[in-house]
Amino acid sequence: MTDRNGQFTQKSPSSDLNSLEQRVKAAKSKHEKPVNDDNSGSLLGMAWRLSTELLVSVLVGAGLGYGLDKLFGTNPWILLVGLGFGFAAGIKSVLRTAEKMDEISADIPIGQDLPQDDEDDDY
Amino acid sequence: MASDPMEQFQIKKIFDLDLAGLNIPFTNSSLWMAIAAISVIGFFALTTKGKLVPGRMQSLGEMSYEFLANMVKDTTGPEAMKFFPFVFTIFFFILFANLIGMSPYAFTATSHLAVTVALAIFTILMVVVAGIIKNGFKWFKIFAPSGLPIPMYILIIPIEIISFLSRPITLAVRLFANMTAGHVMLKLFAIFAAFLVGKGGILAGAAIVPVLGTMGIIALEFLVAGLQAFVFAILTCVYLNDVYHVDH
Repeated sequence: MTDRNGQFTQKSPSSDLNSLEQRVKAAKSKHEKPVNDDNSGSLLGMAWRLSTELLVSVLVGAGLGYGLDKLFGTNPWILLVGLGFGFAAGIKSVLRTAEKMDEISADIPIGQDLPQDDEDDDY
Repeated sequence: MASDPMEQFQIKKIFDLDLAGLNIPFTNSSLWMAIAAISVIGFFALTTKGKLVPGRMQSLGEMSYEFLANMVKDTTGPEAMKFFPFVFTIFFFILFANLIGMSPYAFTATSHLAVTVALAIFTILMVVVAGIIKNGFKWFKIFAPSGLPIPMYILIIPIEIISFLSRPITLAVRLFANMTAGHVMLKLFAIFAAFLVGKGGILAGAAIVPVLGTMGIIALEFLVAGLQAFVFAILTCVYLNDVYHVDH
């Protein structure tokens, strides 16, 4: 191999690989997508998750209550209590899921790399 | 012309299987599930030849492997990689069943509650059994989070039990409802287009509207097919958390 001055240079295979890697990186960065790549699809997924969680929790609570009512012959009291518990469970799991989704999507390094507080700074 | 939008979900018996004295009818649903399973195996058998520089199909397989492996590691933690084969299998089975259901004349196995409930119950039972094996009876502490005043447990324990029991149902209902609703919608639009063409005259020209609608729904359905497989897989990972992190 000769370089620009016509001198013979010997390239080790590893440097070849390095330069290839750099070129691959450069080519990739041209096609780089915006940071949140799994966004549009998972928004729909999130909506489905939250709504079904709320609905199904109420149904399960009511179903359990209905079953216990049948068992003990106390229609409709346990059903009503179960409905309430089901609703509470639904709200709770929706809140828990939403919290987790926030954690994932926000991805803010809380308490790190924040700009310094300038409290003693008077101007 | 089939004009009933629900007719596509009919189960038809193809032949009877006799397994250990049990009479198990082999239906069109079983047939298409078998086709889905075989095409998953076929896809990976044919495309993962282990070339150093992967071709298009091989890198598709490798990317999906990495994607799912990262998903398991991120949502549950590296110790949950024991369950990776399960998550991988269930993702690809649902994905292929959904996608194959999109092709004409195919039966969508995942549009039946029986199929999705079976998948969901298996997933949750696996979480319960693995959790009890791993943590012993301490596993039941997931129903009673620590650090609460005693009277609160009267409220919290039923709530936690209900939200745990609703998990398999949400898993199953979501997949089933998405697939069924999509296919019914698709069929309705198509029937409407055929109906307008049958009327003739100026109405036949108006058939372009439902045809465009059908095209849009087909695109949406392909998105939903992939998305629901992904949601099922990621929720499996989320629920697997309960095997490893009892005190949450």
